[in-house]
Amino acid sequence: FTMKHIATKKVGSLLSRCTAPTRVSYASRHFKSSAIPRQHLRRQFHSTPALDVVKPYLLADIGEGITECQVIQWFVQPGARVEQFDPICEVQSDKASVEITSRFDGVIKKLYYEQDDMAKVGKPLVDIDIQSDISPEDEALLNDNDSNVPTLRPTPSGGQEAGLEVDRNDTKAATGDAPPPPPPQTLPAKPETTSTPSEGQAPRAVGKHASLATPAVRHLTKELNVQIEDIEGTGKEGRVTKEDVQKYAAAQKETPTTTKSSTPAAPEPQAEDQIRPLTPIQKGMFKQMTRSLSIPHFLYTDNVDFTGLSSIRKSLNASKEKSQKLSALPFVVKAVSLALSKHPLLNSHLDTSNAEKPQMVVKAQHNIGIAIDSPSGLLVPVVKNVQSLSIEAISAEIGRLGALARSGKLTNADLSGASFTLSNIGSIGGTAVAPVIVSPQVAILGVGRARVVPAFGKGGELIKKEEAVFSWSADHRVVDGAAAARCAEDVRSYLENVESMLVQMK
Amino acid sequence: MIAPSRGIVKLQQASHKLLASGGRRSGHRGIASLAQTICDPIQSYVSDSNDPYLNLSIEHYLLQKSPPDSTILFLYTNRPCIVIGRNQNPWLEVNLGILKAGSSTTAKEDGQPVIGNVDLVRRRSGGGTVFHDEGNVNWSVICPPTDFTRDKHAEMVVRALRKLGIDRARVNERHDIVLDQGNRNGRSDPQDTHRTPYTVDDGAGPRPLKVSGSAYKLTRNRALHHGTCLLRSPNLQAIPQYLHSPAKPYLKARGVESVSSPIANIGLSNQAFQKQVQDEFARMHSGVPAAIAVDESLLSTPEISKGYDELRALDWTYSQTPQFTLFSHPETDEDPHAPVHDHLDTSPVPWLHPKIPINFKVQHGAILDVGSSKMSNQELEVLSTLKDQRIQELEKLTDELEGEEDDNSKAVRPIANWLGAMLPIVHV
Repeated sequence: FTMKHIATKKVGSLLSRCTAPTRVSYASRHFKSSAIPRQHLRRQFHSTPALDVVKPYLLADIGEGITECQVIQWFVQPGARVEQFDPICEVQSDKASVEITSRFDGVIKKLYYEQDDMAKVGKPLVDIDIQSDISPEDEALLNDNDSNVPTLRPTPSGGQEAGLEVDRNDTKAATGDAPPPPPPQTLPAKPETTSTPSEGQAPRAVGKHASLATPAVRHLTKELNVQIEDIEGTGKEGRVTKEDVQKYAAAQKETPTTTKSSTPAAPEPQAEDQIRPLTPIQKGMFKQMTRSLSIPHFLYTDNVDFTGLSSIRKSLNASKEKSQKLSALPFVVKAVSLALSKHPLLNSHLDTSNAEKPQMVVKAQHNIGIAIDSPSGLLVPVVKNVQSLSIEAISAEIGRLGALARSGKLTNADLSGASFTLSNIGSIGGTAVAPVIVSPQVAILGVGRARVVPAFGKGGELIKKEEAVFSWSADHRVVDGAAAARCAEDVRSYLENVESMLVQMK
Repeated sequence: MIAPSRGIVKLQQASHKLLASGGRRSGHRGIASLAQTICDPIQSYVSDSNDPYLNLSIEHYLLQKSPPDSTILFLYTNRPCIVIGRNQNPWLEVNLGILKAGSSTTAKEDGQPVIGNVDLVRRRSGGGTVFHDEGNVNWSVICPPTDFTRDKHAEMVVRALRKLGIDRARVNERHDIVLDQGNRNGRSDPQDTHRTPYTVDDGAGPRPLKVSGSAYKLTRNRALHHGTCLLRSPNLQAIPQYLHSPAKPYLKARGVESVSSPIANIGLSNQAFQKQVQDEFARMHSGVPAAIAVDESLLSTPEISKGYDELRALDWTYSQTPQFTLFSHPETDEDPHAPVHDHLDTSPVPWLHPKIPINFKVQHGAILDVGSSKMSNQELEVLSTLKDQRIQELEKLTDELEGEEDDNSKAVRPIANWLGAMLPIVHV
């Protein structure tokens, strides 16, 4: 079975400049999905003998749900002889310019489109007089029927010879990979299949160039009883030539040791472990929280009724500009500050620099850190001197610091000097939390999301109440439960009776 | 802004800059040949030349000649030019009349900066039309098809941008890179390159601004993905002028049309961006060498020189246009109430009733056919002399017809003139 061919236009002989043809596993170059059966060792030729059949050759799915693409350029004309892998034409779809290559050896008989025509996916592209073996999988590509894009399935027996290479850019059947998240695709996009949905992400066998050889060569391997996968190809683009087979067979006779079967199948990892060093913010968090490990946290949670606060806010905000509107947060901050005035112990730093003589530094200023979620992670800018600020001023300051945090422009001064921390995790979600104290502070308050819950009114009727869970943590080495509870109760009563804050304001 | 010329001094300055940013391996000149490095498994190059034809030819060479399992990063910046996709129509996409320096009267009138000569280049990958200048850095990655997804390298560039503080950058559904314009509205996973904290999900928010478009070329063994990145273009205002063709209402074309998007500058220096992309590329692969500088010295390689000539040829730029039809009167059947753009004078055939439409089918750079729904056969006969007329030779034809006094020539002349005005061939 000789393979005479007229040289057809080859686009780039890729290995001509390189001294050693690079061996990439054929299967790993091309396949992702279990639908492609080329992972198996092919042992026999397909029973169909080499036929001279003229068949229409379908344009396979090139992905991204594209149903048609434009033929930019033909590389062949009717009568041209092609080998496997020879480019047939270039098509363009959207952003991609794609080379379609031939799966078969043969002679082009007919072109179904002219240059610039829109070629339809799943419909015939050319007629080719096939002069190589046709496997059942290839059959699928040759039928001109409306089952459209055929899929390749592993044949049940597993023993069918895949006589021919399937190339990514060949008109091969679409493989139904689940689109997101795409593992590295053989096709440049995320191929969708019009038929079988069940092709999953099966591991691809990373075998050697399992069938990178012409049918004639494969005949020879069968005759000489060698596995083509084990043979080093020295032909064009790594193909196995007759000489390779013969040499190998001769070598086999001399070394009776069993050859290793193909390289261990490494399933294509669908997702890889990623090693990520800590970001600067994570590093800071790591250091800080490691310190906080030494603090025995006393946790206290309570529900705070926000109904009154919400209605006051609503009436206040009615007359305000959008940017000036008050959220609940500045009220909470002010309430905390007022409570801290009554319970100064919770606004202290615990100084353990001298292990023998730990001491409390009761801070005069209420510098309240507000934990903010930024694109780079957790940041805690500090609102200074809350005891001297009005609620509106607090609100403005929070806004200012928030904007700086978002644009990554917080300075060190903004981020340091807190005597108490407030974590508004409720802006994201959550009910009760167990916030971690930021040493050397001795307390922290986490505010959950305000939710509307049913409750009973004075007359026993069902009313709507808006509640948020306040979760306090205090350093139990220096703050006892009662002190923390009393402070928490004060904050609660300020927020539930906002007028009571009024009489405390300076 | 006039494109700065690249004298030797400039070249040295540029090379010093590249050296500082970790780009160069040796001396002030690019390497003379890629033979030594083309077979390496990982390669990284940066171009010192701003010649778009050269840069694309080098890129093409890298695509054709590198081993199937290698991965290559190539960064280059072009002097002002317009780059159309492999299969696009320059007459439809580009305002060809203002490409030559000094020819842009509209620009001067509007007080817009005049850019100087702007090259027109047809690249070999697909996709749409883009404007390049020195404030735009092009990145190109060539890799095995198995490693390839349409988003993979756009994501690489977004990671690089985010590390430079551009946290609004993300990859969108069309694999472009955009800057979200919304307010910070919530959390998003910093590792998610397709979402930022400013992303608006409903259509209500401000539209994101495009800063990078990309295109692909896929062969049997290789996948090429290249894209632009608008860093500090001084010409943003002028770009829309260049990318709106006056002939558009008169053309009906096949092929890929550009998808227009509002654009913006990111606001980084070329050096910072290049270095970060190279770093990001190095993070993705092991053993990435320092980027190697390349320049016009590579023209000594025959394939590159051949590719260069091919890209510069008028034939490639114009005659590769897929078949299209040119109408004497803009098609109004889509919207009968749409105003007719009488950009050029009434009918091109003054001795005919102005309302007689003529259409010209053009393919392979020549007139394939002339047709009209309202002309007599006799009149069409006269016009049929235009069949097979090459667009590139229209100027020659009009010159020839100039002195002729016979009726037929007199009839064809205004049409030939009109055709030449509608389908100019500009060689900058």
